[in-house]
Amino acid sequence: MQVLIVDDSQIMRRIVTGALNKIGVQKTIEASDGAEAVRTVSENNNIGLVLMDWNMPNMTGLEALKKIRANGKKVPIIMVTTEAEKEKVIEAIKSGANDYLIKPFSPKDIQAKLEKFLKNN
Amino acid sequence: MKAEYLKPFIESITEVFESMLGSPVKVERIGIPDKSSEKPEIIGLIGLSGSAQGIVAVKLPENTALALISRMVGADFNSIDSSVIDGVGELVNIIAGNAKAKFTGHMMSLSLPTVVRGSIYKLKSLEDFIWIAVFFESEFGKFSMEVSFKPAKTWEKESANAGVNSR
Repeated sequence: MQVLIVDDSQIMRRIVTGALNKIGVQKTIEASDGAEAVRTVSENNNIGLVLMDWNMPNMTGLEALKKIRANGKKVPIIMVTTEAEKEKVIEAIKSGANDYLIKPFSPKDIQAKLEKFLKNN
Repeated sequence: MKAEYLKPFIESITEVFESMLGSPVKVERIGIPDKSSEKPEIIGLIGLSGSAQGIVAVKLPENTALALISRMVGADFNSIDSSVIDGVGELVNIIAGNAKAKFTGHMMSLSLPTVVRGSIYKLKSLEDFIWIAVFFESEFGKFSMEVSFKPAKTWEKESANAGVNSR
């Protein structure tokens, strides 16, 4: 299974890749904004999970989430965000997000969240 | 700028250091910003807009930035490169986003972060908001956070009216 990591920060993509590698997920691909994420998901059927940042240039994570769902793609999407407000999280879940992860997180937090998610899916 | 507006930012930076870097920070002092350092610094800036407006700047001496980003990523960085600059931008983004969530009753948006590297500069906001600096000590070295922040005038009026009506 491939995991798509969507974040405009190259460092965050590296941090998340490292956390995934530690729980045995070796196949990761990256996108640096929402528009690239939408393209990648529509072209690649091997993606089993998307980790989507919220604030990105060109297209935000929420806009990308809505477009991916509008395109009929059911791939699980976890929103990774600093936007800790309840309303935003509810909007993401209503728009088709499967779960969310709030920054700041420790490497153990992200591993625990992903392990739980991968186990249940 | 009211001192109470600083609290969410100090709490945020403490939480970010503890959770993402596994290391505590200690507030050394709070005061007016120092004159710019002769040694180059990496400055991460992010704007807040909405019912409150302001700017948050995290100022890191280069050695502090290298040690901090090395811990954050789990790899050694020995010189300032695009990854370190990117990491400082992400750090200030997380700090501001976490602080923003602590301002209950405010609706604010964050700008995308900007990172500046240099030694001779002066931070100045358009409306001459007052800057307050918080100086921190950490295992990565000393650094500071400068905040210029105030509620929008319309929000202050609405808030005052709401207070009168609720009596």
